[in-house]
Amino acid sequence: MTPQALDAIGVWVGFILTLLIFSYLLTDNFLYRLTVYLFVGVAAAYTGVVAVEGVLLPWLRGTLLAPAPQTGQIVLGLIPLLVGGLLLLKAIPALAPLGNLGLAFLIGIGTAVALIGTISGTLIPLVYSSGAAIGDDFVNGLILILGTITTLLYFQYLSVKTPEGEVVRPLLVRVAGGIGQIFLIVTFASLYAGAILSSLTIVSERIAFLLARVLG
Amino acid sequence: MRRVLAVLASSLVLALGLVTLWGLFPGSPAAPAAAVLIQLVVIVSAVAVLVGVLNLLWVHLQRVINGDPGWPYSLVLFLAALIVIALVTVERLGLVAGDQLSGFLFSAVQVSVESALAGLLAFFLIFAAARLLRHRVTWAAVLFVITLLIVLLGWLRLPALGFVNDLSAWIRDVPAAAGARGLLIGIALGAAATGVRVLLGQDPSYRE
Repeated sequence: MTPQALDAIGVWVGFILTLLIFSYLLTDNFLYRLTVYLFVGVAAAYTGVVAVEGVLLPWLRGTLLAPAPQTGQIVLGLIPLLVGGLLLLKAIPALAPLGNLGLAFLIGIGTAVALIGTISGTLIPLVYSSGAAIGDDFVNGLILILGTITTLLYFQYLSVKTPEGEVVRPLLVRVAGGIGQIFLIVTFASLYAGAILSSLTIVSERIAFLLARVLG
Repeated sequence: MRRVLAVLASSLVLALGLVTLWGLFPGSPAAPAAAVLIQLVVIVSAVAVLVGVLNLLWVHLQRVINGDPGWPYSLVLFLAALIVIALVTVERLGLVAGDQLSGFLFSAVQVSVESALAGLLAFFLIFAAARLLRHRVTWAAVLFVITLLIVLLGWLRLPALGFVNDLSAWIRDVPAAAGARGLLIGIALGAAATGVRVLLGQDPSYRE
């Protein structure tokens, strides 16, 4: 089969699948669900193929399957298999505590990476840029800092116990939290608008694709 | 035995976590060790993904064999996955030239269905926003809808709506950015606190 013929078939398959997905707008139906399952099957297989081709095979070729592998290469090649095997033991209740060792391996390294990532990649740059904003534009910079702090305070549940034994949030925290709530609503609305615009762009592209097929 | 394994798991987390943490600092002598450990985690994650995919296929194959409700869907899922794996295998073995067949499946099925599903989202988002005020009118719902409309109108960049365009840009650049920063800093603080707790062995979730 020529690449051109394959392309033509692909376009028509895409056309039919798009129609089947959009049929959900009428009601949840058999054809929509069938398409979604088809998609999950293809996506899962692709994910597995990428994991094998992109990660596992290069690793094995550099370690266990290397020409005349040294002891260090063999050990390195076996560690992921050992940890993977330990993780599988989590499925067997009697051997689950052994599986925790595999989990501990992932959590130990993953936590360290996440810790460094959040501090150097999120906390420091965001705090720095929030502070720098006040130098660029004083009023807007001040609103930015106020919004950032009050948003953080909205999620703060500091409370004090009154002489009557009642637990209440201090007035300052309540007011700051209320202002933070306003900033949060505006943020979520703005993000929601962005999501609507993105999906509208995609839907218009899909409708143009469908019309191009129907009208030639 | 369980107690020994729990202590061993905590020690493993502490040792590997601290070596990785140390190795990630610029100029650290533990950098090569940290690089190997991170690479090992990537490989283990790939193994986990593969196990997940195989488990998914196994679950759906069982549904087909047992004739559970909805088995035709499971059959489609299983066959679709098998076809993709078979096509890629055929291509890699050199039985067909290039990666035409898997590329065809990717663009025809994956891209089309993904785009259509993302497009479907537009209808639900608009419908949900319209229903928000019909359900219960609160000051938060009113503020949400007004901000949403201003930002949406601002994206249109209509010359007749100059003020709305400016207001929309200001909302996105200042109050929305402030809220997003607050959320991101909050998430980062939470992640950092949890990370420290895990590394200090105060989080028992992985030992249970």
